[in-house]
Amino acid sequence: MLNKGTVLAVLISAGGVAQVSALESKVNGIIDYRFAHSDTSNSYRQGGVGKFGTDNGGQAYVGQAGLQWILEWDSGLSFHSVANGYLDGEDNGLGITETFFKYRGIPSESGNRLQSRVGLFYPAISLENKAFAWASKNTLNSSTLNTWIGEEIRLLGVELGWTRLGKLNDSNYDLSFTASGFFNNDPTGALLAWHGWTSSSRQTVWGEKRKIPPLEARKPGYKLAPQAAESDPFLELDDRPGYHLQTQVRWARKGEVNLGYYDNNAQTNIVVNGQYTWRTRFYYAGARWLLPNKLELSAQYMTGDTLMNDVYGNAVVDNDYSSAYIMLSKRWNKHRLTGRLEEFSVTDKDQTVGDNNDEYGKAATLNYTYRYSKPVFLSVEHNWINSDRPGRVYSGQPVSREERQLLFAVRYFF
Amino acid sequence: MNIPTFTEAIDGVCCGCDWEIVTLNRLGLVPEAGKNTALVLGLLMSLPAMAVELSVNVKSASGAVLEGMVVYAEPLDGQQLPATDKVISVGQKGKSFTPYVSVSQAGNNVLFDNQDNITHHIYSVDGDSRFSFKIKAGEKRLQDGLNSAGEVAMGCNIHDWMSGYILLVDTPLFAKTAAQGNVSFDVSETGRYKVTVWHPQLRAENNREAQVIDLNEDIQITAQLINGMEAVPSQESDDDFDFISDY
Repeated sequence: MLNKGTVLAVLISAGGVAQVSALESKVNGIIDYRFAHSDTSNSYRQGGVGKFGTDNGGQAYVGQAGLQWILEWDSGLSFHSVANGYLDGEDNGLGITETFFKYRGIPSESGNRLQSRVGLFYPAISLENKAFAWASKNTLNSSTLNTWIGEEIRLLGVELGWTRLGKLNDSNYDLSFTASGFFNNDPTGALLAWHGWTSSSRQTVWGEKRKIPPLEARKPGYKLAPQAAESDPFLELDDRPGYHLQTQVRWARKGEVNLGYYDNNAQTNIVVNGQYTWRTRFYYAGARWLLPNKLELSAQYMTGDTLMNDVYGNAVVDNDYSSAYIMLSKRWNKHRLTGRLEEFSVTDKDQTVGDNNDEYGKAATLNYTYRYSKPVFLSVEHNWINSDRPGRVYSGQPVSREERQLLFAVRYFF
Repeated sequence: MNIPTFTEAIDGVCCGCDWEIVTLNRLGLVPEAGKNTALVLGLLMSLPAMAVELSVNVKSASGAVLEGMVVYAEPLDGQQLPATDKVISVGQKGKSFTPYVSVSQAGNNVLFDNQDNITHHIYSVDGDSRFSFKIKAGEKRLQDGLNSAGEVAMGCNIHDWMSGYILLVDTPLFAKTAAQGNVSFDVSETGRYKVTVWHPQLRAENNREAQVIDLNEDIQITAQLINGMEAVPSQESDDDFDFISDY
């Protein structure tokens, strides 16, 4: 204990009592430089049918250069902006992935807290991409489920959240509900339908378009002839907001569960400059559990559908899809070993000629990461994907394909 | 020597408490001592200004010594005790409140001391002592307005796992038990006192057990709690990865 005299002396020597600190700026980020050796086809990122972020063969590249800037006011209001850059000499990208204002209130006496985000942001679905700039925490390539979130899902709108903190409410869990309304996600679903499930560290930056793989149905005279060569997932074509709902339960030091529903609520007979509206919706569930001995078990599952009609209202692409992974990660001192198993599918329900989007596949990932120093992580990762995709024949590729990728990476967080 | 009397529990005080109370022979006073010495000492002890010592040893229901328990003694006979000017310090260190539990006299300021290299957003949700402020890395802040006795539950609005308590009491006689479960107070005014043991994890009404005592000479109380204790929650993030986005 101190008396008043001591306190005064301490404060004077410390340069005075902290008064209102009006604004604080924080910059954090990640640089991920990697070498990949891949046994695959041309990457989906370039309109190929390969499931990884790189083409066949060896390649050294910047897997992610991410920067997040946070400006915080004392009131609980903050501004967040996240930029990501990717440099591989083929499909370079640099731009904004998220920009939003956030307000988080102080909890009430019974532990109720309100939070809101306004702007461009990811819905809190991924249990993997929790590091700075939405980098994946324990693996280099995200699961197929979250690679897709990073490619086509972004909310431009308003999110309202309510949390009841268990520690202030005599319960051993925190309960949250979140609801969002958003625009600019009308072509979402096109890339999933046409290149299927993929796995990489690549996020689509705001406004970025992506080539779609060759489709027989895009030839003149076929159903998809009006479709543009590149899909632009972040367009607003129907002026109708979509919505996202989520509930989350979190048990302190034990684990968490989330459940949610996403619906872009698109009106499905609009085409503008070769970009169609796609009605895309999915349910998802995720869980993360902390086991003894620093063992962490996590899993996510998603299932949904996407529908694209022609201007007359006839279904052109009507797909169901699902993806799931289970991941086990263990850390001991500076070492971390992570294993992930996945299963995914797309079911083509339409009769469109020259556009078979069926897919079924499995994937396995094994990652070993050594923490060289506090901010520097050295990783080696092996990815394996085995999938059947009849649509690969449009690119002159076999229906069944086994793809492998070996990655070596240095990741520096700051 | 007066034998302390047990008094009926009052004001929601734990009724079943039956703490062991032992009076002490002050200043090594022994029956064989000379008559005059005894007389002088007896006179000294009867002077109101003479401080007596109240020692409390807190034990769990199973008899284990309990460290870090708050003990305070409130006068019941209108004894006037000068307010203390002790300013307690609540640190933020390793993304946790250090100490987890503090005790202070209501009306005094509390010094918050962020020893981490990151900002914390400290808040209290309790009606009479509600506050919130951001405290940057390395900053100290003197918080006032803590004028009402009661439990102040604190958190950090950035790091939800952080949790700490300050108990504000209406008496200068307060302390936390040391490693051997003991505290002691020099009490300047004799008379009746309510001695209370408090901890946020004590499974009792208002998280406290108490007993009223007559304090006229040095006494030593063994406060064996009737109720059990919940485990103290560990203030640790669910994620041991250091570069998590907290947005």
